[in-house]
Amino acid sequence: MTKRYVLVHDENKCIGCQACNVACRSENNVPESVTRIQVRVEGPYGNFPNLHFKYNRVSCEQCEDAPCVKVCPTGAAYVNDDGIVSINEKKCVGCLYCVAACPYKVRFINPETRVPDKCDFCKESRLARGEDPACVSVCPTQALAFGDANDSTSEVSQLLDTKNHYQHKVNLGTKPRVYRIPSRKGGIKV
Amino acid sequence: MNNIWGSMEQYDPVVWNWIIAVYLFMAGLSAGSMMVAIGLKWYRQSRGLPTEGLPVIKAAAIVGPISICVGMALLMLDLTKPFEFYHILLNYNFTSVMAWGVLALLFYIPLVFVFSGLIFEKQLLSLAPWLSGVAKICRKLENSLNKLIFVLAIGVGIYTGFLLSALISYPILNTAVLPALFLASALSVGSAGNVLVATLFFSKKESDCIEQVHRIEYPVAFNEALCLVLLFVGLNFSGPAAQAATAAITTGTWASVFWIGVVGLGLVVPVLASTISPKSWRHTKGFLITVSCSTILGVLALRHFVVYAGQSYIS
Repeated sequence: MTKRYVLVHDENKCIGCQACNVACRSENNVPESVTRIQVRVEGPYGNFPNLHFKYNRVSCEQCEDAPCVKVCPTGAAYVNDDGIVSINEKKCVGCLYCVAACPYKVRFINPETRVPDKCDFCKESRLARGEDPACVSVCPTQALAFGDANDSTSEVSQLLDTKNHYQHKVNLGTKPRVYRIPSRKGGIKV
Repeated sequence: MNNIWGSMEQYDPVVWNWIIAVYLFMAGLSAGSMMVAIGLKWYRQSRGLPTEGLPVIKAAAIVGPISICVGMALLMLDLTKPFEFYHILLNYNFTSVMAWGVLALLFYIPLVFVFSGLIFEKQLLSLAPWLSGVAKICRKLENSLNKLIFVLAIGVGIYTGFLLSALISYPILNTAVLPALFLASALSVGSAGNVLVATLFFSKKESDCIEQVHRIEYPVAFNEALCLVLLFVGLNFSGPAAQAATAAITTGTWASVFWIGVVGLGLVVPVLASTISPKSWRHTKGFLITVSCSTILGVLALRHFVVYAGQSYIS
C-alpha cells in the first residue's frame, strides 16, 4: 500500500451545517432513512458565558485494523490496495456481524440493496476521477481535509505534523484514519 | 427526536436481536445434548453397563438434530439476504469466528443425523430399507464418529461464545469468560433437554433415565455460576466503560431477566430442587419435568440477557 488516505476534521472550523451530510447523500444515492455521515452537535459544554458546542463527525473511520473486515465470514468486507474499507455486495449474505462489530457504529443496512453500507471516501466516483470526496469539496469552512498521509507534502500531512489531533477509541487498537483537530475550548474527549 | 443531523435509528447499538439469542440457545441445546448423551455412553461402556435403548440417549437423538435445524432455520431467516445464504458456505475468511462456526456446523449437522439414525436404526430401516448399507458402514465407524461428534459439539458450544466475544466494543461480550459460560450452560440445557424429552416420551420406569445425568448437574451449575461471577467481577477491573456495563445486572429490564431468569430459574431452582426436596419426589415425572423446564428457561434467559444487555453497553 503506497497511499494512505486519511481524513482530518478540524473541530474549530466546523459549524455543524450538515452540508457534508447532504452532499454525501446526493453523491452516493444514500436512501433517505439512513446516512453515511452525520456531524452531531453536542453540548453546550462549559459555564455561561464560556459555552461551546462540540462537532462530532460520525462516519466510517477506515480503520487500518478494521474489526468489520476481521469478523466478516465471507470476506465481503475487505480492504483493497487503496487501503479503503470496502464491501463486496455479491459475497455478502447480510449476517450483520460487521454491523455489530464496528466500534464506531457507522455501518448500516442499505434498505435498497439489503447489504451493509458506509462511507468509502467516494472511491468509485469522485476519488476515481482524482477529486476529493463530496463532503470535503462542499464544506463551506474548509473544516475537512483529505489526502495521502504518506506524501509529506500533502495538506493532511502538514496538518497532522503541525496541529494537535486525536482519533476515536484508539484503545481498541483499530487504528482509525479519521483524525480530529480538537476544539480549542474545553478538554479533549476521545 | 428530530436532530438537525438526521435520524439516529440506524445507530441503535443492539444489532442482533432475539432471533440470534434463540439461535444461540438452540445451538447450545443441540451441542449440550450430544455431549451429555455421548459422555453417558462412554461412562457406561467403561463400567461394562449396557448402553442400548437408554431413554436419555434416545432423547438426545431427537433433541440434537431438531434443535440445531430449528436454530439454523432461524439464523437463515435473520439474514438480510436469506436466499443468498450459500455464499457463506463457499467463501471462508478464517479471521472470522463465524467462518469457523460454519465449518464446524457443516460437519456437525450431518453427523448428528447419523447419530440419530444409528439410535433409531430399526425404525429408520423399516421406513427406508435402502439405507441398510450406509447404516452398516456407520455402525462400524460408530466409535470414531461419536468421538468426532463430541469434539464438534464442543466446537459448536464454544464458537457461539467466541462469536459474541469477538465484538470488541461491547465490554460484557468482549471477554474470554463468555465461551466458557456458553459451554457450561450448553451442558446444563443439554442435560435438561434430554431429561425432559426422556421423561415425556421414552422412560418406562420413572427413574430409569436420570441417575448419571444428575451427577453432572452440580459441577455444571457451579461452573456456570463461577463464569457469571468472573464476568462481572472482571468488568470492574477493565476500565470505566466496562465498569459502567456492570449496571446491566443492577438496573433495567435485563437486570430482572438476569436475577429471575438466569440466576433464579437457571441456577437456584435446579440446585435447591436436588438438595432440599423430599427424596420421594425426586424421581417423579412432574418433578423432573418442572426442574428441567426451569433449567431450559434459565438458559434461554441467559442467551437473551447476554445478547441484549451485552449490546446495550458500548465502550
